[in-house]
Amino acid sequence: MTTLVAAERELAAPQAPPAGRRKGSGMNRKPRFAIAVTVAFFVLLYLPIFAVVLFSFNTKKSLTVFEGWSLRWYQAFFNDSELTKSLQTSLVVAAAAMVGSVVIGVLLAFGLVRARSRLGGAANVIMLIPLITPEIVTGVASLMLFKGVGLQPSLTTLMLAQTTFSISYVTVILRARVAELNPEVEEAAMDLGANRFQALRLVTLPVMWPAIMSAAILIFTIVFDDFVLAFFTSGVDPQPLSVRIYSAIRFGIQPSINAVGTLMLVGSLVLIAIALLIPRLFGRRGNSFDLFGG
Amino acid sequence: MTHESLPPRPARKERLWTWMLVPGTAWMSVFFVSALLLLIALSFGTTDALGNPRFGSTLDNVIGVFTPTYLRVIIRSLTYAVAASVICLVIAYPVAYAIARHGGRYKNALVALLVVPFFANYLVRMYGWQTLLSDESMLMTWLRHLGVSASFHILDTGAAVIGGLVYGYVVFMILPIYASLERMDGALIEAGRDLYGSSLRTFFTVTVPASRAGAYAGLALVFLPAMGDFISSQLLGGPDNLMVGNLIQEKFFAGQNWPLGAALTMALMVLLLICMFAYLRQTARDAKEARR
Amino acid sequence: MTTRTAVAERITVIDSAVATSACAVSLRRVTKSYGERTAVRELNLDIASGEFFSLLGPSGCGKTTTLRMVGGFVDPSYGEVSLHGKDVTDLPPNRRDVNTVFQSYALFDHLSVWENVAFGLRRRRVGKTEMTRRVGEMLELVQLTGRDKDKPSALSGGQRQRVALARALVNRPSVLLLDEPLAALDLKLRKAMQVELKRIQREVGITFVFVTHDQDEALTMSDRIAVMSEGRVHQCGTPEDIYERPSTRFVAEFIGTANLMSGSYTGTGIELPGGVPLYTGRLDGCSIGDEVAIAVRPEKMWLSDLTPDMVQTDGILKATVYGGATTTYLFEIAPGVEVSVLEQNLHSARTEERWADGERVRIGWHAKHSLAPLT
Repeated sequence: MTTLVAAERELAAPQAPPAGRRKGSGMNRKPRFAIAVTVAFFVLLYLPIFAVVLFSFNTKKSLTVFEGWSLRWYQAFFNDSELTKSLQTSLVVAAAAMVGSVVIGVLLAFGLVRARSRLGGAANVIMLIPLITPEIVTGVASLMLFKGVGLQPSLTTLMLAQTTFSISYVTVILRARVAELNPEVEEAAMDLGANRFQALRLVTLPVMWPAIMSAAILIFTIVFDDFVLAFFTSGVDPQPLSVRIYSAIRFGIQPSINAVGTLMLVGSLVLIAIALLIPRLFGRRGNSFDLFGG
Repeated sequence: MTHESLPPRPARKERLWTWMLVPGTAWMSVFFVSALLLLIALSFGTTDALGNPRFGSTLDNVIGVFTPTYLRVIIRSLTYAVAASVICLVIAYPVAYAIARHGGRYKNALVALLVVPFFANYLVRMYGWQTLLSDESMLMTWLRHLGVSASFHILDTGAAVIGGLVYGYVVFMILPIYASLERMDGALIEAGRDLYGSSLRTFFTVTVPASRAGAYAGLALVFLPAMGDFISSQLLGGPDNLMVGNLIQEKFFAGQNWPLGAALTMALMVLLLICMFAYLRQTARDAKEARR
Repeated sequence: MTTRTAVAERITVIDSAVATSACAVSLRRVTKSYGERTAVRELNLDIASGEFFSLLGPSGCGKTTTLRMVGGFVDPSYGEVSLHGKDVTDLPPNRRDVNTVFQSYALFDHLSVWENVAFGLRRRRVGKTEMTRRVGEMLELVQLTGRDKDKPSALSGGQRQRVALARALVNRPSVLLLDEPLAALDLKLRKAMQVELKRIQREVGITFVFVTHDQDEALTMSDRIAVMSEGRVHQCGTPEDIYERPSTRFVAEFIGTANLMSGSYTGTGIELPGGVPLYTGRLDGCSIGDEVAIAVRPEKMWLSDLTPDMVQTDGILKATVYGGATTTYLFEIAPGVEVSVLEQNLHSARTEERWADGERVRIGWHAKHSLAPLT
């Protein structure tokens, strides 16, 4: 009894601060070096981007001296039918690759997570190899393949090659999402009278939809911006935008490259913002950065 | 009592999922695996009189890879890629650390800011650097004002190429290390500080080993693409700083020696596979030790 | 070496009180193996129409696998599953007249509560008026009438559980399967839902097959229980049967507490470790020298008012544990053999303990309360 009372008395007493705690030690101290490096890093990171954006508004042709503000390079871009045709080409290729890779990727994601056969292991490996292969190797190999069957590099070959590479990306992203699904939800749908296909359509796909949309937009952006693969597998006409930019840079031609670059940057940003916002808009719990495997 | 004697029922197996694997596997086999196989096959081929590639069974190209000129390029590529990877590592740690442990509620915004530039076109960004570092740029003019000699160039040097590689791939080093550091228990660092006193020592003895996994992932994500890169050396390096990628590109487009190009590509792949192997063994060994 | 006539092979337990064709659910030699591992071994069960039947056992005993085989989500490796006399083993879940309440509730998060409940009716193309009526009835039954437009994410755990129940019941299945539906709820809510479920089952008259690892839950709610372990049914019977007349050692120990006393049979009793004799009287089916074990429930042991016909022994008091309504005393009756005795606190708390630690006390129990012999 007395021990109980004593314990109560001790708990009620004000706590003495733990001895020996140095002021400002531990996590509170800011690492000045690390922060300095970070700031410098961000500056350098955005420096060329600022340069490109800035000089896209330059009145003069020069790329080294900024004279004044003008939209002439943007006008030049939109007036240049070759460039706009390239833009169109890039958009079409990106769209085709997006559709193809998402359709195949969704199927592959489900198969990899749920199939219990040995094909799953092989499929997994085949799907992962492109991700660790440098793009130049994929590009060269694809070129080999097309030439080998007698196809000249063209819009079609480009679309096929881009779709192939994209399938790997899409599958990896969606596979994580499929693995998270509660299998009991599909079982419940079947328990209530739906067959397997109805269950997938009515109950699983609606839940997967935000992830699929995000993956689709992400892959669209990636394919649109891609250069190396396009370089090896696209034909002379029409050329995707990234290849045209490359030629322009190599042969030191017009500074409307800056305008094109700025437009591409803005476009990509808008798409990425949409891709990140979709899960949030559809009320999915969790960090939308889960997409990047953080 | 035992049921080994019982005949098993024909299982109503769910074959649906296996069927879902078929389109993807078929596609990838046709458009990727066979492509790689063709590439390997062509390494043993020849070119005919018109310069068209033909399949064959000669080892000329494979041997050709080992000539001094090419070997020098391969070694240079290795050097640049390794240098770029190390520099990325050195930059990535402070940046990842600052964001992960001191970013507070701006953490996600900072990571977003980090990633955004990488959705701008790679070429355009490199072009941006080219403009900034060219001899006529504002930066160089300013440096010349300060008295730097007229023969000092930034472009057309190995350093520029390495810098370009770093710029191009550093984010792939930062993100995995960031992920590792973010997950790390802050108590570990505090304990380390109590034990070691200096925060620098704590960093090397506690923080770095704990985020090893992220560092390894980052190294793989930087080194592999850097080895195959040809943009950086082309735009920023000039003719004295060719990398394997440039050679390959040249053989396929300007020089029109496809079998040799294929052999070089193969060499690149083999080299990377060896590195991957070593990397995987190291990480597996590390994981085993961690479990003990 | 010896035959234990009282201990039959509990692998083939067919409840003789229930005729086979009237059974709502019948399992014959149902077996499920995953490669080397066998989850369910040659199970035979008959569940009568309108019964509240529980599958009870520790994790991994195969109860959930068994339930899923009845539902059609798992294919048996061998054996037959029948519903109302009809062999459904090859039928997929959507063609069986069974509905399931899943452990995770498995609600359709993108649909409203109303749509969740109506899902099964929609699949059956039930007409709009009837659908509205039945869904309304069901929501009233589970007391969720005002929440039909909400999404599941807006509901509490208990409410989600009730949606899952309504969603299953609205289809008027002949059998309802419940996979540990109350496991995720906190204690008070769980107790309330147990009463609710029992009431609903009585009202609707459907056969319930209920899986749980909580023996109190099974004992309070069930008409009959099948106690499972390692893929086998150890015993199948009413809660009272299971509790008062456990047929195996596992059942005796799993259900409630049991004081286990084992030693070699002497003809008149058991010789406990240390040579301490326990005069239990003759035990059927045992020969002298056999290792036997008996068990006695703590509440069946007496510390006062002992009568000469009781089995008696001395114990040294080790600890007294006060539990509000009851007090538990721990005694050592032989080296290494401890028994606990549970007494109701019929009198108010005493200011001094009845006995001090280390005192020798006489313990007794009626021979009929000895659960023996056990395998």
